[in-house]
Amino acid sequence: MSGFSFNLLKITDPSRFRLGQLIFSRNKQEKILDTPNCFVYTMRGSVPHLTPDNLQTIPVDSLGITLEHFLEAQPPASTHFMGGIHKFLNLEDYLLFFDVRDSGKLQHISFNTDKYVSVVTNQGCRKVTVEEYVRYMNAYNPDIFASIADLITDKNPSLKRVKKSVDRTLNWLDETLEQIKEGIHVFGVVTGHDKHEERMRSAQETANRNVAGFVLNGFDLDITSKERLDLMKISLNHLPKNKPRVAYGLGAPEYVLLGIFEGIDIFDTSYPSEQTSLGHALTFLLLENGIKNEQEKFIDLWDNKYRTDFRPILNGCKCYACQNHTRAYIFHLLAAHEMLATVLLMSHNLFHYLQFFKDIRKSINNNTFTNTAMQFIRASNITDE
Amino acid sequence: MVSLLKLAKITEQGVEFQSPHDNESTMLLTPEHSMSLQNSIGADIIMQLDDVVSSLTTGKRVEEAMYRSIRWLDRCINAHQKSDSQNLFAIIQGGLDINLRKKCVEEMILRDTPGYAIGGLSGGEEKDIFWRVVTLCTDLLPKNKPIYCMGIGYTEDLVVCSALGVDMYDCVFPTRTARFGNALTPKGSLNLKSVKFSKDFQPIEKDCDCVACKSYTRSYIHLQATKETVGCHLITLHNVAYQLRLMRNIRQAIIEDRFPLFVKQTFKDLFGNEEKYPVWAINALKSVNIDLLS
Repeated sequence: MSGFSFNLLKITDPSRFRLGQLIFSRNKQEKILDTPNCFVYTMRGSVPHLTPDNLQTIPVDSLGITLEHFLEAQPPASTHFMGGIHKFLNLEDYLLFFDVRDSGKLQHISFNTDKYVSVVTNQGCRKVTVEEYVRYMNAYNPDIFASIADLITDKNPSLKRVKKSVDRTLNWLDETLEQIKEGIHVFGVVTGHDKHEERMRSAQETANRNVAGFVLNGFDLDITSKERLDLMKISLNHLPKNKPRVAYGLGAPEYVLLGIFEGIDIFDTSYPSEQTSLGHALTFLLLENGIKNEQEKFIDLWDNKYRTDFRPILNGCKCYACQNHTRAYIFHLLAAHEMLATVLLMSHNLFHYLQFFKDIRKSINNNTFTNTAMQFIRASNITDE
Repeated sequence: MVSLLKLAKITEQGVEFQSPHDNESTMLLTPEHSMSLQNSIGADIIMQLDDVVSSLTTGKRVEEAMYRSIRWLDRCINAHQKSDSQNLFAIIQGGLDINLRKKCVEEMILRDTPGYAIGGLSGGEEKDIFWRVVTLCTDLLPKNKPIYCMGIGYTEDLVVCSALGVDMYDCVFPTRTARFGNALTPKGSLNLKSVKFSKDFQPIEKDCDCVACKSYTRSYIHLQATKETVGCHLITLHNVAYQLRLMRNIRQAIIEDRFPLFVKQTFKDLFGNEEKYPVWAINALKSVNIDLLS
């Protein structure tokens, strides 16, 4: 059970980016999540590759957990565990944000009805009703969760279908708010697919409910990040400023910056994990004072040119990998197919990504964000990927 | 060199083998080159380059390999540049042939290396012959030098070989089996992939102080096992803790003069029933006056 509030520390006008704090109290302890920030991606409740001793070297505050990873058995075995999801996952010091579906990937969903959503698991499709979802959340006791949304993954759905999805999502939100225990906070999911009027309607109607915040889910659409952000903007125009906004599907640094400009507070993304699985080490920096931003966004440690490069991934980085190891060593580990490669890369990438958010907050606080961010975005050469 | 034998061509000069990484380049590893590399790497204990054959090999090849290993030991000793800081161990060869092993030990003792390894075993040979080769070596090797039996790692093997006089071991088993989802406990191995653990909220091993047992349940690890690398890591951490605790318990039992009782209890926990005790272990322990069957 936790108390919850969201404070805006700084809000800019007419730009829309903000500095904020989510404040939770759980077990008589207060936890603060400074925003803009991100929910760290997990698979089956664990940060990829990181055991707790390694995770502790990284200043993580909050994690995103996905129900579909637990649904091979229905109800999930972990709902029988008496201590709640924080204890089950050994994440008692972290804020946990739950959703049904994996925010890290586009999943073609088979079939939703008025009564249930379809969820894909390793063992096949599962149906989840609102009642079941709320029951699981009541057993798990996360800090926040997103209510179930009817996401459409058909290309070019009819307006009728989109209207139905907005209505269903709102109905499910109402049912959820009725059934959920006090102390577990619900974020409403804003839908509307690619129909502008419906996006507006969904945002306005969701804003009328007693939700703690909003989720802008981008992954129901197979579009570019830029197109995704453009659709999110329509919803954002109709959401109240005083509640936090979470966006899915925006992970690359330039899109994080663009999203912050539009008023997004929290990013739920698997970007650091994806880059890790490719053997990439993140090196982008948010540089102030007009320093020409010429560095690469990442280095590909599979490349032979790092074979005898005995420098750390990034000079000055305080992560475990950079403090103790070299590019050459990680190159060797990747070539030898050793798991330590991904442990070191994940440690660095997660640390680096969180540092990026720290730099963003500092910049907003110092009133240099607009110029600093625009410079970064310009140097990123955004194309329609 | 045992694990790379398939890719190797052996001559008096050295071992020529294909790179396990790219299937194209070859490398000639001579005793001299092996010492040069090990001197660079800087390990505290280094091993001679040996001519090792599979324990299932029979005939002249076994004898050839044994004599060559002695000659290669001499070449390693000559080539070793850092004998004041790096300890070179000889590796006793001779297959499963008692006479060849005796001869090898006799010769290698004359070289007076800091320690001796028993090589060429743990390759699928009959266990009842395996222990006899081990005990022959521990009988003949000097008592004031460490004896290292290579490739040994199952619980019962560690306990029995320790009873026979072995001091050191190495094995991939605990970490490899961990990556496949198996956790080692005093009562045997738990296959945590099995659905029967999905709702088991106990730790892997009660009273184990590793991070997996202190902070997680079998249910959680079942969720990760073979699907997430965190599963591999957590079970690995447990299995390593298990192995180290086993060796600590062996040492403590020896120090406190209760080793035979410790051995009996270990077997009881592991196998449950005396009828399940492996015969080779009963024989081996009997040879050092430990009677497993009460």
